Amino acid sequence: MRPLTETETQTLFSKLANYMGPFIKNLIAPPDSNPSTDQTRMSFRLGNQNRVYYCSEYLANLSTCVARENLLSVGTCLGKFTKTGKFRLHITSLNVIAPHARYKLWVKQNGVMPFLYGGNIVKAHVGRWSEDCPEHQGVVVLGMDDMPLGFGVVARSTAEARRLEPTGIVCFRQADVGEYLREEDTLFTTT
Amino acid sequence: MAPTRTVKSKDFSKDGNKFKGSATPGVPGANMKSRVSKKPKAPPPKQQKTKLAAPAKKKKRVYTEKELGIPKLNMITPVGVELPKGKKKGKVFVDDQESMMTILAIVNANKAGQIESKIMKSRQMEEIREARRKEAEARQEQRNLKLEETKASMRKKRKRRSDVVVDTDPSGSDSKGAKASRKRVSFA
Repeated sequence: MRPLTETETQTLFSKLANYMGPFIKNLIAPPDSNPSTDQTRMSFRLGNQNRVYYCSEYLANLSTCVARENLLSVGTCLGKFTKTGKFRLHITSLNVIAPHARYKLWVKQNGVMPFLYGGNIVKAHVGRWSEDCPEHQGVVVLGMDDMPLGFGVVARSTAEARRLEPTGIVCFRQADVGEYLREEDTLFTTT
Repeated sequence: MAPTRTVKSKDFSKDGNKFKGSATPGVPGANMKSRVSKKPKAPPPKQQKTKLAAPAKKKKRVYTEKELGIPKLNMITPVGVELPKGKKKGKVFVDDQESMMTILAIVNANKAGQIESKIMKSRQMEEIREARRKEAEARQEQRNLKLEETKASMRKKRKRRSDVVVDTDPSGSDSKGAKASRKRVSFA
């Protein structure tokens, strides 16, 4: 495990900024943390298979005691760097992103299952959405009970989506919690 | 160097007391000087030459290949392949909050600009669409008005015809009177 380089950090932040906007600073310096102690200072570490983990500095330092091939995971896996240098967010990052999301989309009860099976969200299934959301902006998808279900990219801006017919796609799925079952065999493997 | 030594030895053997002559500037000293000056006039220039040559040699500094920075193989190295000297080898990690915050500020500025431009663009598009819609509505209204007008005119025509038919039916005198009242063409 090693810290990220400058370019890696920039790529990661630009991806996270799609969903969180300026609230990424809450990840770097949590509001309730004491910066002088390692226990609450958070950091990003690059592990095996180019996976990026979000964990406390204290935990990252402790992880140095474990041999690289034996170390499966540290903290929360946010995603991985592809071979072309882009960053792909995994569903495991939902816990980190959802509390600080900038734009949200609430799905009605009848739209939850289609979304969790990997489908895009149609207008008829939308309960409500954040106002002034531009086109192709990252959004966190929630159930009507505010339970985070995944995240996606909006197909149209809010104004345009209003005029859309009920079967029109409003949000393209990026990740959903159904992946925990569907991608069970590849989500946490290291080889 | 050799000739000077020989001179000294000669002086010592002939005078016998060399120290006296050197201590008191008298006749023997003068003799010695003359003797010395006669024979070894040639060597001093040699000495000078050697003295001049020595500093010139010191100035010539031999540079090593490393100092000159000449590549071992005489081939072209593309720009950017070789790292500049004195720079850290390998990756530069970002692990402190300050540098992370600066990167975050750059990213946020970029994203904010993008979102702003997107919103501006969508608003402009919305305005254009609204204008087009209004124009289309106005055009439709005009068309409707025209249609209504033609309809009305057609109805009038039909009414007139029906009036004529109705008028002609009951009696010829009334209809003639009506016709006369309508037509007002006069020839002078």
